[in-house]
Amino acid sequence: MVFSDLFFLFVFLPVFALCYLLLKRHHNAVLVLFSLVFYAWGEPVYVLLMLASVVVNYFVGLGIEKKGKTALVVGLIFNIGVLAVFKYANFFIANFYALIGCLGTSNLSPLTFHLSLPIGISFYTFQSISYLIDVYRKTTPAQHSFKNLLLYISMFPQLIAGPIVRYGTISAEITERHVNSQDLAEGMMRFLRGLGKKVILANQLSEISSQLLTGSGLESLSTLGSWVGILAFTLQIYFDFSGYSDMAIGIGRCLGFHFNENFDHPYCCDSITDFWRRWHISLGTFFRDYLYIPMGGNRRHQAFNILIVWMLTGFWHGASWNFLLWGLFYGLIVMLEKYTLLKVIKRIPKVLLHVYSLLLVIIGWGIFYFEDFGQMKHFFHAFFGGAEAFTDFSAVNALSSYGWLWVVAILFCLPVRDWLNRWVSSWKHPRPVLLIVTRSVLAFLLLTLSVALLVGATNNAFLYTRF
Amino acid sequence: MRGNRILVTFVTVMMTAFVAVFCTLPRSVYSELEKRELLRFPKFSWQSLRDGSFTQNISNWFSDSEPFRDVFMRGSMELKSLMAFKTKSEVTFHAAQEETAAIVEPEKGQEKPSVGDQRSIEEFHNNVNANAKMDNAGVIVVGSAPNARALMAFKNKNKREKDFAKVVNSYQQTFGPEVNLYCMIIPTAVEYYCPVNARSCADPEFPVMTELYEEIDSAVHIVDLYMVLGKHIDEDIYLRTDHHWAPLGAYYAARQFAMVAGVKVPELEDFEPDTMAGYVGSMYGFSKDVNVKKSPEDFVYYVPRNVDYTTVYTKYKLDKDYQIIGEEKPHQGDFFVKVSGTSSAYCTFMGSDSRITQVKTDSDCPRRLLVMKDSFGNAIPGYLFGSFEEVHVIDFRYFTKNIKTYVKEHGITDILMANNISHVCSGAIGAAYGRFLKK
Repeated sequence: MVFSDLFFLFVFLPVFALCYLLLKRHHNAVLVLFSLVFYAWGEPVYVLLMLASVVVNYFVGLGIEKKGKTALVVGLIFNIGVLAVFKYANFFIANFYALIGCLGTSNLSPLTFHLSLPIGISFYTFQSISYLIDVYRKTTPAQHSFKNLLLYISMFPQLIAGPIVRYGTISAEITERHVNSQDLAEGMMRFLRGLGKKVILANQLSEISSQLLTGSGLESLSTLGSWVGILAFTLQIYFDFSGYSDMAIGIGRCLGFHFNENFDHPYCCDSITDFWRRWHISLGTFFRDYLYIPMGGNRRHQAFNILIVWMLTGFWHGASWNFLLWGLFYGLIVMLEKYTLLKVIKRIPKVLLHVYSLLLVIIGWGIFYFEDFGQMKHFFHAFFGGAEAFTDFSAVNALSSYGWLWVVAILFCLPVRDWLNRWVSSWKHPRPVLLIVTRSVLAFLLLTLSVALLVGATNNAFLYTRF
Repeated sequence: MRGNRILVTFVTVMMTAFVAVFCTLPRSVYSELEKRELLRFPKFSWQSLRDGSFTQNISNWFSDSEPFRDVFMRGSMELKSLMAFKTKSEVTFHAAQEETAAIVEPEKGQEKPSVGDQRSIEEFHNNVNANAKMDNAGVIVVGSAPNARALMAFKNKNKREKDFAKVVNSYQQTFGPEVNLYCMIIPTAVEYYCPVNARSCADPEFPVMTELYEEIDSAVHIVDLYMVLGKHIDEDIYLRTDHHWAPLGAYYAARQFAMVAGVKVPELEDFEPDTMAGYVGSMYGFSKDVNVKKSPEDFVYYVPRNVDYTTVYTKYKLDKDYQIIGEEKPHQGDFFVKVSGTSSAYCTFMGSDSRITQVKTDSDCPRRLLVMKDSFGNAIPGYLFGSFEEVHVIDFRYFTKNIKTYVKEHGITDILMANNISHVCSGAIGAAYGRFLKK
């Protein structure tokens, strides 16, 4: 089940809200129960894997308090092992056989695991790892209540596509939280904003990117088409993922949880280092705190640390060489920036920095988009001017037929809301009625437009649920 | 604080209203817009629960059969149309160049063959520059309301035209000189009406056509429509809002066939035109473009005037997945069926595809025609009642008999394979016709 599914919006969510309100004394039990139903709806068997993961992490967490490092190592092996088996096993096996084939000794019939990727495994496994390490570091005590740990890991708002919520962020709110009308209002608006980002913007942009970058569109790609297509994907993935994060944060807020922000206008970055401070913040800080710094950070062999961290960041997104390449691409740029750009960044005009950063980000999405290296090569050939035609009908059509979509999408990549908030707070005479009416109209538009667009939508899956 | 409470109340009321609409009102079962039955609530089984398909299908059912689905869809299309930058759009199509190969016109009522099969054709160019856009499902929408024309882009993905040619040749070998075999490949509208600037969105049909003509045995009579229809593109030979051609296009096809077959050539004045106004066809659902919805057209079909004929149908019983589960007893019916509403106008011919149609006419021509067709072919037989004593029609999707036995039993003298080029290249028709020989 995904947040932008009509069944979620008009069956699951209302029933959950009703039960949550009626059974006030059993808030957490209701939340756990509905979270398990939410997960089992899409993964009826793998919900057992998630439950098993919670059981093991519960006992490992308790074990860390007594046995320290040994229990932590056991926990890390378990969590990484689960990821390795369910997410990466077939990748490693396929490449092993490919290697043997290259060496000319392949008489073996390829072995494959017939395992589908459990939804959200990368997210809840990383949350479990962060919990264990935080307990080990004593930044937070181990959770002695199994149901509370189950709640932390299985909580449906952030279960399948993040953000990766640190245990310490919400540990206090698991047992005691308060919700006031501001939380509800902010939470609802945040949820609707996320829904609008996903349905009104990302889903429409995905029509452009898939039209140009897949199938026959890719075969006859012009140079302009490659730029338009990847630009559409650049905007699509931002609104898709940040929309999901907004909805997760919004639901969490309505329940009294305060999750950390996951995005901070990433396309306003002035360097790639800055981009990764603003994009998928919960993943970036995870790798920073649990891998980069323990490896030595910038104190020893920094370049090596950067490359390893970024390769793993890429690999986290999927068991495919293009994701590894994508991570390596960013690793190299971040490393180069450390020694060059960041030392002189203040002397370079901002516009140039934005253009430089966005260009590399767009190229990065080109690597990210194509798991097939043949297709990737074809795309970049067109992207850098090697296509037979500079422009074609599909590309021009994608620009003109979605003209206002481009305008709105690019506008909402900018901190428009911050500007508006600053403008409103500068009013000498506050006009509360106008603000209420504006927010209500906005809520009405976001919900009704999203529902209208969801009817008959065929491209509604969230990109990040597959990671 | 008070503002927050008002907002929370407002959003709650809105959500409650939507929940009331989506969960309490009767669910839609059919979409006029998409011309399809909507999903039903899934059947439960432990296996489907275990593999997740049961719950997934509940979500799919809920999203597919919502109350007022078509109303929401229209809203969605209106909304999407607002995303485009508006441009002025006036489109005029001109007939093909005059220098293209001449089409031999027969004398009125001519019965002798005046043309052989025409395999030598020239590529059609319309030289039209018009505003066009690529919509959902690869549909090209040319112009805007109220004269928008939606074109299904031809994409030869499967490239199975040679397989089709082989099957046609095997029919020729099977039936030999005793039965005249005709092959009519029907071009689609995109070949004639796609503006120059959008040509790259569709594969050209001309090379496929020429390849087919080269591959098909010389003993098979080719009924070429490529050149014939190209002469008439400033007439309503293709529907603007449907993926089919218009009955007028089928008339020119039937006329060309009659000339190749050497039977009485139908004249339009021998038919009574009947008009269904306000027709919006399947391309609205495919393209999801509101311009198509706002461009209704007249569906004009032609009923023979001075011919007595009786139509007998043998209908196939179908399950919910359109699989044949039985056959009804033959019964008499109308060839031109009165359909309810304009949205099913194309079903005027025989009512549907899932049947065998046998028409006995008072024609003094002793020949009997079997039309093997897809839905494009539905519009042809009505023009030929004055040219054959019997006209039989079967659809490639719904025929369970052995074709050799059928031809023998009914004394068929002429077989016309009339299919659109997309189906021909998909491989589906060739495979089905091949099976008919082996049943």
